[in-house]
Amino acid sequence: MKAWLKFSPKMVNQAVITDLIKNFDVSFNILRADINPKGGKMLIEIKGSEAEKGITYIEKAGIDVSPVKRVVKKDKELCIDCGACVSLCPVKAISVDEDWAVDVNDEECIGCKLCTYSCPTKAIKVVE
Amino acid sequence: MKTIEEINQRIKDGDAVVVTAAEMTQIVKEDGADKAAKDIDVVTTGTFGAMCSSGAFLNFGHTDPPIKMTKSYLNGVEAYSGLAAVDSYIGATQPSKNPEIGIDYGGAHVIEDLIRGRDIELVASSYGTDCYPLTDLRTHINIDNLNEAIMVNPRNCYQNYASAVNSTDETIYTYMGTLLSNMGNVSFSSAGGLSPLLNDPYFQTIGMGTRIFLCGAEGYVIGEGTQHNTEVQRKNGVPVNGAGTLMLKGDMKQMDHEFVRGATMPKYGSTLYVGAGIPIPILNSDIASKTAISDEDIVCQVMDYGVPKRSKPIVVETNYKELRSGSIEINGVEIESSPLSSYKKALEIAEELKSWIDKGNFFLTNPVKLLASQGSSPGPLEIRRQTILVNEIKSKALIIASPNDDIRDVAKRMVQNNVNHLPVVDADQKLLGIVTSWDIANAVAKGKPMLKEVMTKKVVIAREDEPVDVIARRIDKHEISGMPIIDKNNRVMGMITAEDISRLMCARNREEGV
Repeated sequence: MKAWLKFSPKMVNQAVITDLIKNFDVSFNILRADINPKGGKMLIEIKGSEAEKGITYIEKAGIDVSPVKRVVKKDKELCIDCGACVSLCPVKAISVDEDWAVDVNDEECIGCKLCTYSCPTKAIKVVE
Repeated sequence: MKTIEEINQRIKDGDAVVVTAAEMTQIVKEDGADKAAKDIDVVTTGTFGAMCSSGAFLNFGHTDPPIKMTKSYLNGVEAYSGLAAVDSYIGATQPSKNPEIGIDYGGAHVIEDLIRGRDIELVASSYGTDCYPLTDLRTHINIDNLNEAIMVNPRNCYQNYASAVNSTDETIYTYMGTLLSNMGNVSFSSAGGLSPLLNDPYFQTIGMGTRIFLCGAEGYVIGEGTQHNTEVQRKNGVPVNGAGTLMLKGDMKQMDHEFVRGATMPKYGSTLYVGAGIPIPILNSDIASKTAISDEDIVCQVMDYGVPKRSKPIVVETNYKELRSGSIEINGVEIESSPLSSYKKALEIAEELKSWIDKGNFFLTNPVKLLASQGSSPGPLEIRRQTILVNEIKSKALIIASPNDDIRDVAKRMVQNNVNHLPVVDADQKLLGIVTSWDIANAVAKGKPMLKEVMTKKVVIAREDEPVDVIARRIDKHEISGMPIIDKNNRVMGMITAEDISRLMCARNREEGV
């Protein structure tokens, strides 16, 4: 699953994430992060057999976990299937299918919106 | 071997054999060009790409009392009306006059909205004459009540085109789309083996009067497009970069919005996606063999758009098969590639044109004059006023600092020499950072004694051989007031500041008597 972890200022100095990775069978990927001494947030993707246990652990440790409910959508009316967005996507969430149509994958998207901004016909929308 | 008239008779009889350029590649590979030339009558091509050099002539009809328009705006986008009284030309790249809308709605969007049948606000003004007394008007028009809406595109269907990368360390926004820093992606824009002028590379069949598919309607080739270039290097019989171009014409009242689209390249401008398809009559086996060209055979040069010069350096040569695979290799690194033109739409266009001919609704024409196949190459525009390079500017004597200098010494040096910027260098005079008088004030306020604690390490630089105009744009873009000048060996040679540039402009204006 993907989730935003929100760190309060007092959490910034604690090694909760290190403990999570040490003690649970999870694979953990940081997609975006913006943390400074005043706190901050981090977008993560967490997988593995103990992912749910791990999340419960970091929530108990004081990190606010909010699973990402994001919908990335391509407007079929507006999209001309040029593909300009494909090479801009940092996580390969956009691909060209066998019929040369552009496909957007909701699961992979991290919401950076580079595609939204760069689309010549403004056909991709990210709703969080 | 065959004539256009014979092919048209077969189309009429429902006997013509029509295939797309993609299918033809396979047919010639299997059967050879001689047999293909006997079997196949027409090959259809297609492309759907951003073609900035597009626009339309509109005739609004006369008002009562009449007006001789000198300015006209369509949904806030200016159309050129310096022709007669009620004719205007709306160009695809003209932005909205409203700065808050700007390039997000331009001439290309007006053209799409017209073709979609939407109402468009027309505002026009004039100086008034005895025969045209009206000086202002505001009304709504749509495609049905225009007398004529004729798309005339001065330069479409580039025969081939370079693909683009960006070697600088920041993202740039170009007509080739968004180019990520440090060659983070490659953008290309050609339908490759399906593209019209790559299937008739020596213009043996296409010329003035060739009937074509244009944005869902019947259109015509008027002649060579602007910047038509016959002198580009060829490999496998086709040019390796932008070469031949077409000037096209079509009736917008017959067009289909599925095959034309207004678009905006972010931070660049509006542009029109034009759908064009050209039928190639297979008159002999030579023409058949040329239409067999595949993506793999068409070389495409990758150019560095990070260099804002007319001739951009070629980074590597690739082909459309590699580009379309999703990544190409540059200097041993896999770089993701993606198209700016729609291959899906290009295929649809080739299929649509094929079905028109199959159904006997579209006949081929004998061009009045073939496109020029030699002796045509566009020249550059020379600016009479000499371009001034960075190293030609008289700048102040170079004052530098070392990272371990004491802040107070640096402050003293700045005051004594009356400068606001100091490059920080190492023993070899190589750049390490920069400090401004603001940084010094900041250091004093925070009680930091050493220069290296307050200097900016990421420095925007100017090269000795860059034009000053490029530096002015860089200063503006980064909202800075000056930058160090660096030589080929990365040594600091001096500083160039906004003040130097304004002084230069004043001197230049004085010389020219502005």
